[in-house]
Amino acid sequence: MGNICVIGVGYVGLVTGACLADLGNYVACLDVNEAKIDTLRNGGLPIYEPGLDEIVQRNAVAGRLHFTTLYDEALKGCEFVFVAVGTPSGVEGEADLRYVQQAIQDVARRLVQPLVIVNKSTVPIGTGDWVAEIVKEHQAGRVAFAVVSNPEFLREGSAVRDFMQPDRIVLGSTDRAAARQVADLYAPLQAPVIITDLRTAEMIKYASNAFLATKISFINEMANICEALGADVHEVARGMGTDTRIGPHFLSAGLGWGGSCFPKDVKALAHIAAMHGCHPQLLRAVMDINYDQRKRAIIKLRECLGSLRGRTVGILGLSFKPNTDDMRDAPSIAIIHFLQHEGAQVRAYDPVAMPNARRMLQDVVYCKDPYEAADGADAIILVTEWNEFKHLDMKRLAASMRQPLLLDGRNIYDPVRMRTIGFTYLGMGRGYDENGKARAKPAGRGL
Amino acid sequence: MKNICVIGVGYVGLVTGACLADLGNRVVCLNRNKSKSDNLKQGILPIYEPGLEEIVRRNYEAKRLDFTTSYDEALQGVEYVFIAVGTPSGSEGEADLSHVTQAAEQVAERLAKPVIIVNKSTVPIGTGDWVADIINEHKHNDVPFSVVSNPEFLREGSAVYDFMNPDRIVLGSTQRQAAEKVSELYEPLQAAVIITDLRTAEMIKYASNAFLATKISFINEMANICEALGADVKEVARGMGSDRRIGPEFLGAGVGWGGSCFPKDVKALAHIAATHGSHPQMLRAVMDINYDQRKRVIQKLREILTNFRGKTIGILGLSFKPNTDDMRDAPSIEIIHMLQHEGAQVKAYDPVAMDNAKRILKDLTYCDSPYKVAADSDALVLVTEWNEFKQLDMARILKSMRQPVLIDGRNIYDPERLRALGFTYRAMGRGHDANGQPL
Repeated sequence: MGNICVIGVGYVGLVTGACLADLGNYVACLDVNEAKIDTLRNGGLPIYEPGLDEIVQRNAVAGRLHFTTLYDEALKGCEFVFVAVGTPSGVEGEADLRYVQQAIQDVARRLVQPLVIVNKSTVPIGTGDWVAEIVKEHQAGRVAFAVVSNPEFLREGSAVRDFMQPDRIVLGSTDRAAARQVADLYAPLQAPVIITDLRTAEMIKYASNAFLATKISFINEMANICEALGADVHEVARGMGTDTRIGPHFLSAGLGWGGSCFPKDVKALAHIAAMHGCHPQLLRAVMDINYDQRKRAIIKLRECLGSLRGRTVGILGLSFKPNTDDMRDAPSIAIIHFLQHEGAQVRAYDPVAMPNARRMLQDVVYCKDPYEAADGADAIILVTEWNEFKHLDMKRLAASMRQPLLLDGRNIYDPVRMRTIGFTYLGMGRGYDENGKARAKPAGRGL
Repeated sequence: MKNICVIGVGYVGLVTGACLADLGNRVVCLNRNKSKSDNLKQGILPIYEPGLEEIVRRNYEAKRLDFTTSYDEALQGVEYVFIAVGTPSGSEGEADLSHVTQAAEQVAERLAKPVIIVNKSTVPIGTGDWVADIINEHKHNDVPFSVVSNPEFLREGSAVYDFMNPDRIVLGSTQRQAAEKVSELYEPLQAAVIITDLRTAEMIKYASNAFLATKISFINEMANICEALGADVKEVARGMGSDRRIGPEFLGAGVGWGGSCFPKDVKALAHIAATHGSHPQMLRAVMDINYDQRKRVIQKLREILTNFRGKTIGILGLSFKPNTDDMRDAPSIEIIHMLQHEGAQVKAYDPVAMDNAKRILKDLTYCDSPYKVAADSDALVLVTEWNEFKQLDMARILKSMRQPVLIDGRNIYDPERLRALGFTYRAMGRGHDANGQPL
């Protein structure tokens, strides 16, 4: 059992705190936002994450997890401080470190016993060294401390499982003993531990996310080539994915990635690289391809409908991926803006993200279910592949539409079945028709 | 047992023919070069591929495998024709299909009973349909035939193993029955079989190779960022590779890829894409990064030696990767040209590729050991990570050099150990401090 303080109750902080408590440690979660702490004390969660609710409740009741806004209270007798505050993107993609700086200063001023400061936030390469300098500047005495970088690899929607069953734990520090102490906290998980230097640990996080984003942009580039040549990217991905050196993950062509990690991390890494004289051309291509995919949704609709002025378009799914209410940089936002800009009316449905979406997307008719979103629409676009969209009553959906045009932005439907039902079906990178012939351009204006 | 003809005795044709014979079929391998055929009958192979020679000899002696230059002889009574001829790159990266065309015409002229034409060559998307058109044009009767695309995923150096232990068999055809008949040939291998349409099968091959090339260019971009920031790309690759969605393969930073597949396939796919209105910007970045890596070697050397005029540079490894004698688009070629262009004398050693290299690279001293390469050199560049370079007597090497400079183009050495020995050591993406200065 260790005494742990976790600063920040966002996705990362809350999952880390709750899971560390669940492993038997005594954890204080600290956030300066009183409203969030009040919510947590009353048994609510400021975010949606499957399974987290139960773990928070259970450990709070057991007295292993508590929430506070007071540094003095949170740091009392604490051996580890996990920093998990937000690092928003600046204009140029540089990570904004003001919350990290604030947290570290507040910790440093209260340093009375040896402490291991563990950085969980995704921070630019070199931040670990910078944190150590801040502590030295602001600490009153000469109490020993160490800084360890311990990047998180949690996915929204499966964050609890990812914490409990990690592929690996990465720990970077100039102080190997401190890294080992942190490794001890994770010992119950029986995962491989990689101990390296600070900068390399920080780089591992960026490089891993950037690679996964690259894999998606790669398959999207392939999707566009498949469309032009009459091949099916869904099958291409299956063929590629069975190669053990490639693997099946992150090979789904579609409207591209969004969320709070990939966009921020890829942009930040490209920024850091350029600021140090590198020319990150692959990362730039990865971002370009990703943001162009969102525009392809509009191009495809325009090919079928001609002008979008006065058309009604139904959107299925708003969150940036399924099983989360996170709307940050979700493809749906850009797509809805483009549609509205071209004069279309937008109706939308999402199982959990609508409250968040309302704050960002105006002039949208929010619907109570997918059928209502399709009602009277000239087209529907599936933007987020929630499971509940996979077995809809598609006949009913088609019948309620003004025109049965379906743009499957995530390739979740069987093209042949959809065409049999009567849909004009458009996938992403599936350029052949039911006879295996290259798909002719869809019928022109007005259908 | 089936009767099979394989057209082409390059890497792909010979491995395919020999392995299909080894699985119990009767295989005739056809090529138009008589001396190649005669040599093969004596067990002399036109290429170096571990384990292949034994399989060729054994199956030739068992009369399951034969070689000929005559189409009439090769096509006698066959049910399957595998086309495995070369598809060299044209100037714009377009695949040159003249050999494929010729093979298809010859088969069509002699079409006497139903045959399945299996395309093993890496051909542009749409070639399967086009081969069918050629046969329809040139055949003299109504004998049915079908075309199946069956891309190969063989790696030079482990091609026999790869044939016998595939991750998957990809078969594309407009006629599912024909694809299923080809899958029967592979049944003994008990591998996953993916049956799809022609164009998609053709695309799977290009996309798979392009992805692996992308993975290497990605880690090379990371290597350059690591150098600038003082991180270690080898550890970064270890950290990334343990993520099972990423995997550890093809994450070795270095002087980049070469060979007969990646350069040709990535270029061809980019070309096909662009001529169909796509903008293959990732593929282009992947190629740019790869060819820039070779130049970084020169840059690193220049930082230490200032200029190359009158200097002697030793090259360890010439083939594009270990365990092959293949010199096609090997990074060593460009690196040696650049060094010579800047006035350096070049010495080189490679365990098996020197014969091939001699035809491509002139004006350099070929040595019969790494130690002779090192003697009196101003710098050594490790270009190909042959195993035999991993445990050299580095103290002996150091002593024999004029200047103890070592550029480790494949990150195979331990930086601390080599620096302790006294080397001025530079790797790719590691061994730099927080300001990007070499340690």
